[in-house]
Amino acid sequence: MPPFIEHLTMLGFGAELIYSFVIIICSLMIYFGTKELYELSSYKGIKYFRLSFLFFAVAYFFRSFIKFVLDYFSLREIHEFSPMFFGNLTLFAFMYFSSLAIFFLLYSVMWKKWGENSSRIYLFHLSAFVISLAVILLRNSWIYLGINLILFVAVLSTVYISRKDAKKKTKGHNLYIIYLLLSFFWILNIIDILIPEFLQTIQFFIYLTSEFIFLMILYKVLKKAGSD
Amino acid sequence: MAKRGKLDITYDILKTIQKSNNLIKPTPLLRKSNTSTARFKEYLAELTAKNFVEKTNHKGENFISLTNKGFKFLEKYSTIVNFIDEFEL
Repeated sequence: MPPFIEHLTMLGFGAELIYSFVIIICSLMIYFGTKELYELSSYKGIKYFRLSFLFFAVAYFFRSFIKFVLDYFSLREIHEFSPMFFGNLTLFAFMYFSSLAIFFLLYSVMWKKWGENSSRIYLFHLSAFVISLAVILLRNSWIYLGINLILFVAVLSTVYISRKDAKKKTKGHNLYIIYLLLSFFWILNIIDILIPEFLQTIQFFIYLTSEFIFLMILYKVLKKAGSD
Repeated sequence: MAKRGKLDITYDILKTIQKSNNLIKPTPLLRKSNTSTARFKEYLAELTAKNFVEKTNHKGENFISLTNKGFKFLEKYSTIVNFIDEFEL
């Protein structure tokens, strides 16, 4: 591998911090940028869409940004008190909120078809909880990969069914591709955290592409929500 | 003709009020809004609760008019609809 590529792939905590920061800022800009539209319309689809990005922001906060915050406010003792407990807690929070983010993003597109049902929301929380707990307790690479594969197949089939029903529409086609990419890179991110050696050589590209996807969604949101 | 959604009905009611120089009695508003009496009452109660419209008394008669939030909704309606369309929400 050329030294330049090798250098790029050996990313440190600083790069991870910048990466998380970009995703958090994009997600919060999407959340607050659509606040007025939701307040005026009370439209459920906008509500679930906004919640999805709020959960992404919270998830990426727990991914690495929390360590920076603890350092900044000289609270490193909390981390050093029990690194394993702290690591498990933040990993659990990251898994829980990022799973919820994907579930809510899917629901924002499918809520009319699936019907509005509060038990479905509880199901999302329960599924996210079970996934997070399984990741913390089982500690097996193949189980991590299996869970993520199942989740990706679920996203893929939902998007496929939705596209099939709306095949007369040409609009929105790009959006489904963006959502699919988002889900795919979300899974790569999770694999990168849980099994670091598995994707080490392409970590830099995962970060860059994930940022690009979030920036693309932010651009679309600001363009649409900001126009009068 | 496609079935009107909640957002469209809200827009139609608010637009009717605006077109009537922002002062209209409940009965003509019901007639122009193209909904059943029961649904109209629900919508009006919700719009009042959300502070989109207010009931005023003018020369002993009840009128309905838009609030600033109601005008804001009309102003932003196309943005909201475009946003929902764009993200297939």
